[in-house]
Amino acid sequence: MAQTIIRIQTKLMKEYYQYFSKYAKGGRPEGKVAWITAFAPVEILEALGISCYYPESYAAVIAASSMEQSLLSKSEELNLSRDCCSYSCCIQGCLELEEGPRGVPPKPDMLIATNNQCNTLPNWWNILAHRYKVPLIVIDYPGDGADRRTAYHYVTAQHRNLITELERLTGNKLHMDRLAELVENSRNSVKAWKSVIRHMKDKEVIPTGLFDDINFLITARCRRETSEMYTMLEEELSRRPLANQELLPVFWLGYPLWYHADRYLSSILEGCRVSGSNYITWWNIDYAGEDLFECLFNAYNDTFLNLSQKTRNERLGRLIRESGAKAAVTLRNKSCKCDFVSARNIDIPQVEIDMDMIDRTILDEKAARDRISLVRETICTG
Amino acid sequence: MNILSMSGFVPEQICDTVRFTQYFGQRNIASYCGYASDFISQVMGDQNIDGAVYPKSCDSSRIIGSYLEMCGKFLHQINVPAGTDHAAVMFFAEEIRRYQQQIEKHYHTAINNIGERIALLNRRNREICEMYDDLDTLDYYAYIENIHKNLQRPLCEQTVGDRLRQVHRTGKRVFVTGSFLSGIEIARIIEDRGLKIVGDDLPESGRLCSFPETKDTGDVYLNISANIMGRRLSPTQDHFNRILEADLAEIKRKEAKGVIMVIQKYCEPYEYLYSIYKAYLEAQDIPVLKISLLHSEDTQKAELQIEAFADII
Repeated sequence: MAQTIIRIQTKLMKEYYQYFSKYAKGGRPEGKVAWITAFAPVEILEALGISCYYPESYAAVIAASSMEQSLLSKSEELNLSRDCCSYSCCIQGCLELEEGPRGVPPKPDMLIATNNQCNTLPNWWNILAHRYKVPLIVIDYPGDGADRRTAYHYVTAQHRNLITELERLTGNKLHMDRLAELVENSRNSVKAWKSVIRHMKDKEVIPTGLFDDINFLITARCRRETSEMYTMLEEELSRRPLANQELLPVFWLGYPLWYHADRYLSSILEGCRVSGSNYITWWNIDYAGEDLFECLFNAYNDTFLNLSQKTRNERLGRLIRESGAKAAVTLRNKSCKCDFVSARNIDIPQVEIDMDMIDRTILDEKAARDRISLVRETICTG
Repeated sequence: MNILSMSGFVPEQICDTVRFTQYFGQRNIASYCGYASDFISQVMGDQNIDGAVYPKSCDSSRIIGSYLEMCGKFLHQINVPAGTDHAAVMFFAEEIRRYQQQIEKHYHTAINNIGERIALLNRRNREICEMYDDLDTLDYYAYIENIHKNLQRPLCEQTVGDRLRQVHRTGKRVFVTGSFLSGIEIARIIEDRGLKIVGDDLPESGRLCSFPETKDTGDVYLNISANIMGRRLSPTQDHFNRILEADLAEIKRKEAKGVIMVIQKYCEPYEYLYSIYKAYLEAQDIPVLKISLLHSEDTQKAELQIEAFADII
């Protein structure tokens, strides 16, 4: 079984990376290439035969390969402040130096950005558009703060416009049955992933694998193999032994540390186990709706970071309760203001840690260790 | 009703608000815009303020409501579209309508003087435009101070006037760009260092003057939306290339020898814009200085930076 999971993951990764400069040998994907943000309506692009690449995701790979510092410095030389999102700084350095563990992605023919996780990404995509002189399309998702009907019409107008523009740029015609098939694949991937992550609460599952495996939900969610692979993974996790009940269950509230071998503070969480995480639920997007445009609206307008504080509080509160966590490790990510406020109004003790998901120099590990010890002692002796 | 407002995206046509300029705030949020942080402080700490309206246009502004949720005052966030096409104008018109409805509901009032306000605003904006066109003969500090004072008053009490025309300075010609110029002392420092501000792309000045008048016939909300969306762009609207082109055209037309970008630290839209703006203008032999302020009253490092820049140009 494990062999089959790895085989599917290898196939998906091989297909994704085959045209990165380290492997491409001058080759390019057959169709057009788009660089897109992680919550772009990828089903529309895939239905038009466009190859999609995710710079944010590649920044995580770069940090995991310990190559981020020189690239961050390079982007600073290019006048991009290090205060900006480290995903963008890391990739801008990578593009300038043409250095990365897998080289650089194939040059884009178009750029698609959305603001349903933050407003920074469309800003970053603007400098990419300036660099490559290719069309940039920004899709604006108002979230749940706007009037629902108005937002639906607005977003749908943009989705229709996106289709028209992409048909023009590719010369291909979108077939609605193909789009429906891809949306259904995405829906199945989300469903299967949800069944995977529910084992985090009770089974002996460390977050490292989940932080890495969610990558397929980001870069290959509308591929049929993704749900198949997640279904097998769920079966595999269901056979794991129960988690050690002696350990203190904690909730990991924020991004993975991509540069860390375990993606989380494994060495300073002695006596604890991570029983839940909100990051691994961010792509559990809900493709509900009576027609495809409604499905796409619901999926991409209501992403976690695009929700009002009230809705976020409810959703996060439910996740924490379901995880059985007695404390939370709350990460204040220098690169993601929109996630600063996710942890408001939660009713378990929190350890707040300043960090960055890419730049390892931001974390003060000793201070983090001291804070975690303090909270652990308070709970265990309380 | 005393609502503190942030940004030129808040439609002045609907009702009077107090435009946020600067405030000595105790609140300090790490890696977060000091201007937005001071806005939050004033809403929470100023007894005269009973509400807040702010845009969803950048990462700092989009989470303001989360910090204010327990303050018990009227809170409203306006969604600002990323684009400027017809769908964006239509959506923003609905957002303006929703803003009006929320105010009417909260303050138990009926707003029925939008037509009159449009006429007043058009007149005020025309006056600002006239002064903007005459910047060569004006003290820029006095000009921008006058605008800021007016933006804090009710519309019917705003008088731009022409008394500023008496003052006249000369110097090396520069163009100023950036977010709302909260620390207006910067303007004085610039002109005291022998530089002459001949144009700007600030939301309260050059950008406002790029499309000053709102149509007063037809759908009033669409007209207001078209007016605000029709102005020169903020980087939050995601068309950097159009900003570069518009700024360069004005800089060349006014024969400016350099550009000073005044922004808040942790203001990503301008940080990203700057990363290409600097190279773009320097390719035209126009040097660019970025001044990054820590909060709404900060000017501490500006003097030295501006002095050095004045020597360069």
